[in-house]
Amino acid sequence: MTSNPSDLRQPRGSRNQRRHTPKANMSGIYRRAIRDAFVKLNPRVAIRNPVMFVVWIGTIVTALVTLDPNLFGTAQGENPRLFNGLITIILFFTVVFANFAEAVAEGRGKAQADSLRATKSDTVARKVLPDGTIQEVSSTTLRQGDTVKVIAGDLIPADGEVIQGVASVDEAAITGESAPVLKQPGTDIASSVTGGTRIISDELTLRVTSDPGKGFIDRMIALVEGAERSKTPNEIALTVLLAVLTLVFLIVIATLPPIATYVQAPVSIAALIALLVALIPTTIGGLLSAIGIAGMDRVAQFNVVATSGRAVEACGDVSTLILDKTGTITLGNRLADEFIPVNGHSLQEVAQVSLAASVFDETPEGKSIVRLAQQLGATVDFDRASAEGIEFSARTRMSGTDLPNDREVRKGAVDAIRGFVRSRSGAITPDLDQAYEKVSRLGGTPLAVCDGGDLYGVIYLKDIIKPGIRERFDQLRRMGVRTIMLTGDNRITASVIASEAGVDDFIAEATPEDKIDVIRAEQSKGKLVAMTGDGTNDAPALAQANVGVAMNSGTQAAKEAANMVDLDSDPTKLIDLVTIGKQLLITRGALTTFSIANDIAKYFAIIPTIFAAAGIGALNIMRLSTPQSAILSALIYNALIIPALIPLALRGVQFRPLTANQLLRRNIFIYGIGGVIAPFVAVKLIDIIISAVGLA
Amino acid sequence: MIRNLNSMLADVGETCSTGWDSGRRQQVPRYLFLLLCLNLVAAPAVYAATDGAFSKTQSYAIALLALTTVALAAYLFVVIFQPERF
Repeated sequence: MTSNPSDLRQPRGSRNQRRHTPKANMSGIYRRAIRDAFVKLNPRVAIRNPVMFVVWIGTIVTALVTLDPNLFGTAQGENPRLFNGLITIILFFTVVFANFAEAVAEGRGKAQADSLRATKSDTVARKVLPDGTIQEVSSTTLRQGDTVKVIAGDLIPADGEVIQGVASVDEAAITGESAPVLKQPGTDIASSVTGGTRIISDELTLRVTSDPGKGFIDRMIALVEGAERSKTPNEIALTVLLAVLTLVFLIVIATLPPIATYVQAPVSIAALIALLVALIPTTIGGLLSAIGIAGMDRVAQFNVVATSGRAVEACGDVSTLILDKTGTITLGNRLADEFIPVNGHSLQEVAQVSLAASVFDETPEGKSIVRLAQQLGATVDFDRASAEGIEFSARTRMSGTDLPNDREVRKGAVDAIRGFVRSRSGAITPDLDQAYEKVSRLGGTPLAVCDGGDLYGVIYLKDIIKPGIRERFDQLRRMGVRTIMLTGDNRITASVIASEAGVDDFIAEATPEDKIDVIRAEQSKGKLVAMTGDGTNDAPALAQANVGVAMNSGTQAAKEAANMVDLDSDPTKLIDLVTIGKQLLITRGALTTFSIANDIAKYFAIIPTIFAAAGIGALNIMRLSTPQSAILSALIYNALIIPALIPLALRGVQFRPLTANQLLRRNIFIYGIGGVIAPFVAVKLIDIIISAVGLA
Repeated sequence: MIRNLNSMLADVGETCSTGWDSGRRQQVPRYLFLLLCLNLVAAPAVYAATDGAFSKTQSYAIALLALTTVALAAYLFVVIFQPERF
């Protein structure tokens, strides 16, 4: 992680406020979905779903036997045209309902894409030419490396890096969050701007970082619209399973007529097609892609853009979570709570030196030290104009002020200050270690403070663990997910925070490079690893992790290396994403179980009635009135169950933090046994209605 | 006369070539055309095998249905072995 102004790193929005996607017009979703359901009947589109394609071909064949009932031989039974026509209508709607499920799932993404496209209007950009003059050009002519100037009120014409100026930017167009974000050059976090967002104060000079059509909003549009959607490994595996089942039943049905003739129970082509459709797993075949799209949509509702469904699915398989302490496990705003004098100095003296060392420090930590020192009566006793602030760096691990009278006041990591004091020929007293241990054992961060070679004391920075985080780690543990906390703090502080937060393991005094080592070590054990990051130095680890979530406030390198971007820049969301991924996998498993279990009831509805002449009428345990009624009842149930399950497919099965074995037992009980019983009841009810109406 | 014949043959060749290229781009019509051509072979076989139990139209319909079933099975095999194409 990079060291940056922490006020820009605050997670925006609490848990309750997270679901705020960019405003999209959702009113026409269902109208558009109905239209798309018919558009998807195009064979080129239909062929992508093997189960529903077989149903679609079956519909065409039954339509032909409706037009000419004697097309494949002499028709049997009363009014075969009506019976065949009813089957055709039911099969047609089975295909349309499946298409509708997919179209509804896609609808939200398309609506979001439309609203994003609206922000991508062609604007006039002030391009800075090499000689420094400004030329007004269309934003579509801007290329990577161009320099542009934007002033308050302007739409930012393209993605870029701030190279000059400080300004507030309204990013509501992409994040839905109306609070402006401060942008300034030279920092990883705050220097990147997105085309289509609006500058609301001051002015900025930007270097364009993307060519037209390749910007962040362009990529977001392609993603939410599903243009780049390809099947995930689990979807591919399930598609193969469904195709195998369909092929097996197709062969069974195709070889049935000679057997039926042999047992003196000839079956019409329409009845055979009805039997085929009832036996193949149409429910999961119709809902499979909707479940996947809805999973991506749920991620989008959390204001996270996933580069692919594969990334969302990988979240569900994650077995190790690597989390930064600050901002993820703790609130991130470490505040000075106490000064502990050492080396014989008084509290007042420590406050005075701490104030001098923090007067140029603009981070919340620095400001809280200034506040605490001033409460203790400390005042700035030097000319600020002739003093120089020394910024914190990961290398020196300290910051401070060079005062006008050649004094060097510093505050920072205890080890770093110890080295600084020794380098200025100062002495280290044993009470420094006592103060250090005292703060560490409280779970706080100790900062030593010195004036040249004279050690003054230790500042206790209090770190507050996020409420409810322990329970969430407990949930993850129950799901079999291991959590590892990474922190730059010392071992004692890290162990205290780790034990209070309930993480499984921690790595203290970690550098950004440690992340990639931890990821590789976990992956070598066959684990799938998820992590968050925002700095350029996080990019290799984000690329290495199976799920890498970059913060939107992070650098372009981090965003490109990650397979998800969190628009709210809230690292805690990684836990939510794991939950969504698991929910996606559970939903798919549950509906597959339900769909296959359904076949048993449909089998008992159709086979005994159409082969009653062969002496298996006793198997008609539902006592369905006629073969025609049995076939129609099974098919109607088969068609109606698809729209009935759309809400469950889109919302996902209710998530429970259970182990894989517990989930399997639960799914088999609810969706397996339920999938067997429900159609028995429903088919019988439909049969009663059909008989009462006199349809068959 | 010979020049006209050559020109006509060239036109026919070009038309066939264009049609074939177009067929390669539009696979569904090509497969349908192949199915109907195969049906010309299969339907008389069905008619002969059933010893006149079915009319010629019914024979053509049954043969087409059988070929469609075989085509569907082939399609499902492709889905099983190359699922990423779908």
